[in-house]
Amino acid sequence: MKSSALSICRILLPALLLSACGASSVVISGSFPTPNIGRLPISLAVVYDDNLQDFTYTEYSETGQEEYYIQSGQSHVQLFNAVLPAMFDDVTFVDNVEAAAGSGVDAVFVPNIEEFQLALPAKTRLDVYEVWIKYNMRLLTAEGDYLADWELTSYGKTPTETFLTTESAINDAAVVALRDLASTFALSFARVPEISAWLANR
Amino acid sequence: MKHAGGVTGKLLPLVLMLCAGCTSTTVDEFRQGETGIASHETVVILGRRQASARETSGDFVECVGDRIAQGANGLSVVPEQEFLDAMFPWFEPRTAPMRPEHLARLMVEEQVAFTMRDFGVRYIIWLDGYTERLNQVGSISCTVAPGGAGCFGYGSWEDDASFNAEIWDVESYNGVGQISTDATGQSFMPAIVIPIPLIARVEANACQRLGDQLKSFVLGG
Repeated sequence: MKSSALSICRILLPALLLSACGASSVVISGSFPTPNIGRLPISLAVVYDDNLQDFTYTEYSETGQEEYYIQSGQSHVQLFNAVLPAMFDDVTFVDNVEAAAGSGVDAVFVPNIEEFQLALPAKTRLDVYEVWIKYNMRLLTAEGDYLADWELTSYGKTPTETFLTTESAINDAAVVALRDLASTFALSFARVPEISAWLANR
Repeated sequence: MKHAGGVTGKLLPLVLMLCAGCTSTTVDEFRQGETGIASHETVVILGRRQASARETSGDFVECVGDRIAQGANGLSVVPEQEFLDAMFPWFEPRTAPMRPEHLARLMVEEQVAFTMRDFGVRYIIWLDGYTERLNQVGSISCTVAPGGAGCFGYGSWEDDASFNAEIWDVESYNGVGQISTDATGQSFMPAIVIPIPLIARVEANACQRLGDQLKSFVLGG
């Protein structure tokens, strides 16, 4: 209870401070479809660590002022919650890698965001808002040993004419990027060389 | 003199309104195969969104879909978003088939083939294009004073809509034809106290002509 209250403070406090300074806060939200693919016969434990859950990105203006404060951690959690149960036979969510040990799962999946980039029309002179996100994905054994470690990038854009506000355009570009992540992740997972070899040996 | 001025005053808005309707649209059709559709079959219209700076707008895709579905011989159209969500992740910008041959490979996937059959899709129509605003000239200035408010000036611009439709037959995995449309039109905005927008309906005309042509193309030949 205490840790969740602290976690909320960790998110809200910077947002309040930044809004006081004039930066616009954008909490990414959207809905994500369930992948229409065959399930892999794997029982998977999933760890969303704090870096992912509390992920935020601050976009600065050309004069160095905070312009947009983007919170996209929870939207990633929501996305993985929709995608993973459709990809694997059995999915459980655990607090950390240690909690998965002895649970009888085949593997532990730990997704993380490495980099987030935002391109605004005012800076690029293009008629689109763009979001680019780089991820690090890790697959471990239940005991925490290495199975695979790979990078994914996702990209989303949205045209300027569709939206009334910059905030809603950023949100939509980020949702398109998240959808791109889900499609690439779902179709490329079994093709990652280490995972492909691991699946073949099971 | 007074009479001549009155006539000019009456004619000016008429001339401007007539010019506002000046949209020229051309449609080109290229047929590669026979077409036809049964009453239980549907079509889906999808926008291409691979290009970096531009993408086919969802509104235009919806407009063409509505046009095709209209009338006594209207076709059953699967809404784009409903199809994309049901087919996720196979028709996303990075994963969508780019050629009809790729569709054959995709249909090997059991889930894809099942969902396609479930929707009853016979034709996939890919729309690619955009509307561009060119040659914007003029300026309008508005003033607010204690005695009232008003605008004065003149603005004009040209819209150019260019779209290409590629029709794939889901039954034979072949491209059966292409239809392209190009529409241009000049819009005006004179402002004498209040701005009077005289807008050329360029994208709407492109949608209407392309929709009608696509419907007659799919219905047979």
